[in-house]
Amino acid sequence: MGHAVAKKPTTTLSGKTFNTIKRNYQTPFVILIFFLIWQFSVVIFNVREFILPSPLSALEHLLLPQPDANYNWSVHISATIYAVIVSFAATSIIGIAIAITMAWSRLINDMMLPLFIFINSLPIIAIAPIILLWFGYGIFTNVLIAFLVAFFPVVINTAMGLNEVEEDLLDLVRYLHASKWQVFAKIQFPNSLPYIFTGLKICSTMCVVGAIVGEFIASDRGLGYIIINSQFTMDTPPIFASLILVSLIGVVLFGLVSVSEKIVMPWHQSEPIPR
Amino acid sequence: MKKLVAILRNHYAKLLTVVGFLFVWQLVVMILGIKEFILPTPITTFSYLFIPELASQYDWFTHIETTLIEVLIGFSATAFVGVFVAVVMTWSRFLRQIIMPIITLFNSLPKIALAPLFLLWFGYGIIPNVMIAFLISFFPIVINTIAGLNAVEEDLLDLVRYLHASKWQVLVKIRLPNSLPYIFSGLKISATLCVVGVIVGEFIASTQGLGFLLKSAQGLMDTPPMFASLILISILGLSFFGFITLLERWVMPWQKSQQQP
Amino acid sequence: MKAKIFTFFMVLAVLTVMAGGEATALTKVNFQLNWKITGDHAPYYVALKKGWFQEEGLDVNIILGQGSGYTVKVLESGKAELGISDAPVPIKGIAQGAKIKIVGIIFDKHPNCMFFWKDSGITKPQDMAGKTVAVPAADGHKVMFPAFAKQIGIDPASVKFLNIEPAAKVSALATKKADIVFELYTGKPFMEKAIPADQLGAILWSDYGFNAYAHSIIARNEVIANNPDMVKKFLKAAYRGWDYTLKNPEEAIAILAEYHPINITDYVANLKVVMDFFKTERYRKYGIGYIDPARMEDTINIVGQYMGIAINFKPEDAYTSEFLPDPPYKYDF
Repeated sequence: MGHAVAKKPTTTLSGKTFNTIKRNYQTPFVILIFFLIWQFSVVIFNVREFILPSPLSALEHLLLPQPDANYNWSVHISATIYAVIVSFAATSIIGIAIAITMAWSRLINDMMLPLFIFINSLPIIAIAPIILLWFGYGIFTNVLIAFLVAFFPVVINTAMGLNEVEEDLLDLVRYLHASKWQVFAKIQFPNSLPYIFTGLKICSTMCVVGAIVGEFIASDRGLGYIIINSQFTMDTPPIFASLILVSLIGVVLFGLVSVSEKIVMPWHQSEPIPR
Repeated sequence: MKKLVAILRNHYAKLLTVVGFLFVWQLVVMILGIKEFILPTPITTFSYLFIPELASQYDWFTHIETTLIEVLIGFSATAFVGVFVAVVMTWSRFLRQIIMPIITLFNSLPKIALAPLFLLWFGYGIIPNVMIAFLISFFPIVINTIAGLNAVEEDLLDLVRYLHASKWQVLVKIRLPNSLPYIFSGLKISATLCVVGVIVGEFIASTQGLGFLLKSAQGLMDTPPMFASLILISILGLSFFGFITLLERWVMPWQKSQQQP
Repeated sequence: MKAKIFTFFMVLAVLTVMAGGEATALTKVNFQLNWKITGDHAPYYVALKKGWFQEEGLDVNIILGQGSGYTVKVLESGKAELGISDAPVPIKGIAQGAKIKIVGIIFDKHPNCMFFWKDSGITKPQDMAGKTVAVPAADGHKVMFPAFAKQIGIDPASVKFLNIEPAAKVSALATKKADIVFELYTGKPFMEKAIPADQLGAILWSDYGFNAYAHSIIARNEVIANNPDMVKKFLKAAYRGWDYTLKNPEEAIAILAEYHPINITDYVANLKVVMDFFKTERYRKYGIGYIDPARMEDTINIVGQYMGIAINFKPEDAYTSEFLPDPPYKYDF
C-alpha cells in the first residue's frame, strides 16, 4: 500500500473529541482570517457605517460599556442560546420520531408528507402573524417557529436513511423470519444513522436561524430582538455584533453535532480522510 | 384509464389528506364564525383565483410567472453549484478546511436580517431574489453531497486504490454513484428552501411576484388574496418536491426512498 | 373560652386579609402595540413604571405588535382589550365587521411623509408621478396613498411601488434604488444617519392638506360595554403618561430603556420629532387624545372612497370620546 495511513480514531471519548478537533483546528483560523478581510475591506473601501460597520466597531459595541445603549448582552445571549438548544433538542427528537413513524406506515407517510412539504414551503415570515395570533408571545412560540423552520431536513434525511437498505439484506432477514420490529431496530435504524447525523448538521444551523427569526417575531429579548430594535434606528454595530454571535453559535452547534457523529459512529466517514 | 386508476389508488391517502384538510378548514371557519379578514374560507380564497371579477383585480399570471422563473433559476443554480462545491471540497482537503467554516457561519444567519445589505449590493428584481434563494438553500445540498461522497466503505476504497485507480476514477465511478441518495435528499430539502428563499427575497424588495402580492394584500387587510398567494406558494413548493421525487425515481429506479406497498 | 376568642380573631384576620386582597386585586389589561418599540411607545412604559396604571387598578401587559392590521385582528379575537392602530385600518375593519371602536387619538398632526434626495429635483408631491417609491407593504402610507394621490391630483397608478422590508427603508433611499421613500417624519433622525441633512428632502402629507387621523387607541366593543371603567382608567393613565413624556422626553426614554434594549440617544431624537406632531392648537385647547368629530368623519369618508369598502355604519359607531381623560391633559407647548 503506497498511501499514508490515516489517523485511526482512538476508542476513548476524549480521544475521539481530540481527533475531531485536531482535524478541524484550522476552523478558528479561517474564521479569524474572514474577520480580518472584512475589517480591511471596510477600511480600504471606506464603507459607510450604516451600510456595513467594521467588525471592530461591532465588537466595541459588545465589549465596551455604551452609555446610551446599555444592553444587557448576557441576558439576551443566554435567551438566544436557550431558544437554540431547546429548539434543536425538540426538532431532533420530534423530527426523528416523525420520520420513524412515516417509515413504519405507508399510510401515515402519504398523509403527513404533503402536509410537511406544504408547511415547509411557506416562508415563516409570511405566516408569522397567524402563528402569533394563535400562540401569543413567548418562548413557546419562539421555539415553535424554530421548529417549523428546521424540522424538515431531519425528517427527510432520516426517512431516506430508513428506506435506503439494500434489497438483498432485507430479503435475507425476512427469509430468516425477522419481525418488522427486528428489521427496524437492527437493520434500518443503524443504517440510517449517517443520514440522521447529516440531517442534524443541517438542522443545527437552521435551528439557529429559526430561533432568531422566532425572536424577530415573537420575543422581547434575545439577539434577534436586539437586531430588530437596532434596525429601527439604523444602529448597525449592535446588529452586526449580534450577527457575529449568532453565526458563532451556529458554528459551535454544528461542531458539536460533528463531534457527536464521530463518537456515535467511529467507523463512519462523512468527512474526507487525509491522505 | 387503468393507469389513472392505479395512480389514484397509489396516492389516495395523499388526495384524502388534501381534501380532508380543505374540508376541515371550511367547517372550522363556518362553525366558529370567523370573520373573513382574520381567516377566509377555502371557497372564498379560491374564488379570488378563479372567479374572473375577483381574480382580475390582481395580475396573477405575471406574479406567478415571476416567482416561478426565480425559483427555476435559483434551484438550478443551487443544485449545480452545490454539488460542484461539495465535489471540490471532497477533492481538496485544503479547500474544505477553508470553505466549510465560512458557509457554516453564513448559513446560521437569518438572511432577512441582512435586508439593507442585500438591497444595496443586489438591488431588486429577479437576480437578487435568485441570489437570496441560493444563499438560503445551497447549504443542505453541500452538506448532504459531502456526506454521500465520503460515505463509501473503507474496504471498497482500499480495493480500488490497490488496483491503482486514480483519484478521478474513484470520484466518478465510486463516490458519485454512492452519493446519489444523499444528493437527492439534499435536493428535496433545498427544493422547498428555494421557494422560501425566493419569497424572502421578494419580501426584502420587489415590484412583482407572489411574495410581493402576499405582502401587498396583507398590508391592505385583503386576507383572501393573501391566502390565495400563500396557497400558490406552497403548491409551488409541493410541485418542486414532487418533481425531484420523480427525477429520483428516474435516475435511481433501483432505490426506494419511500416505501412501496 | 380563650380558644373561642382566639378562633374568632383568627377568622376575622383571615377575612380581613381576604377582603383586603380582593380590594387590591388588579384588573388585567392586554395592550397591543402597533409595532416593535418606537419612541412614541415610551408614555405607556412611563405610566407602567410610575405606577399610574396600578393606581387606576389596572395590571397592564404591553404586547409588541406586528402592524396596525394585526392589532385589529388581535382585538377582534379577544386576545387584547385595547391597542394602537392607524385609524384607517380599524375603520376598514369595522366596515368588515370588526367589533372595535377608536377611543383616543395619538398623533394629532398627520406624520406621513415622503423622503427623497434634494438633487432629484422633487419639490412638490406631484413630482412623484412616474417615480419609484419604496415603502413596506403593510405601512400606513401605502394604505392611504390612493387618497393622498387623489387629493394632490395625480393618478395613483403613475407611481411605481417597490415593496421593501421595513429595515431596508433607509438603505433603499440612501443607495438610490428608489427615488422616494414613504416613512413617518419621526424617522428623520435615522434617515439623516445615511443621507446628510442638507441633501435630504422631506414633504409632509399634512402640508398638502392630508388631514386624516393616524395612530389611535382602539378598544373592543365588548370591553366598552361590559367594562367601561377599564377603558376610562386606562386612557387616563396612558394620557397621563403622554403628558409626562411630552414634558420630560429624556426621562421617558430612559424609562423605556429599562424595559427594552434601545439606543437612548437615537430614541430621544425620535421622540422629540414625535412631540412636534402633538403641538397643535387642538391639543392645546382640548387636551391630548381629543377626537375632532368633523375630522373623524372626513377620515371615514376617505377610507370609504379610496379603500374600496362600503361604509355601512354611522361615524358615531366608529369612535367615542366618552373615555378620554376628564379633565383633559392640555398640551401647553
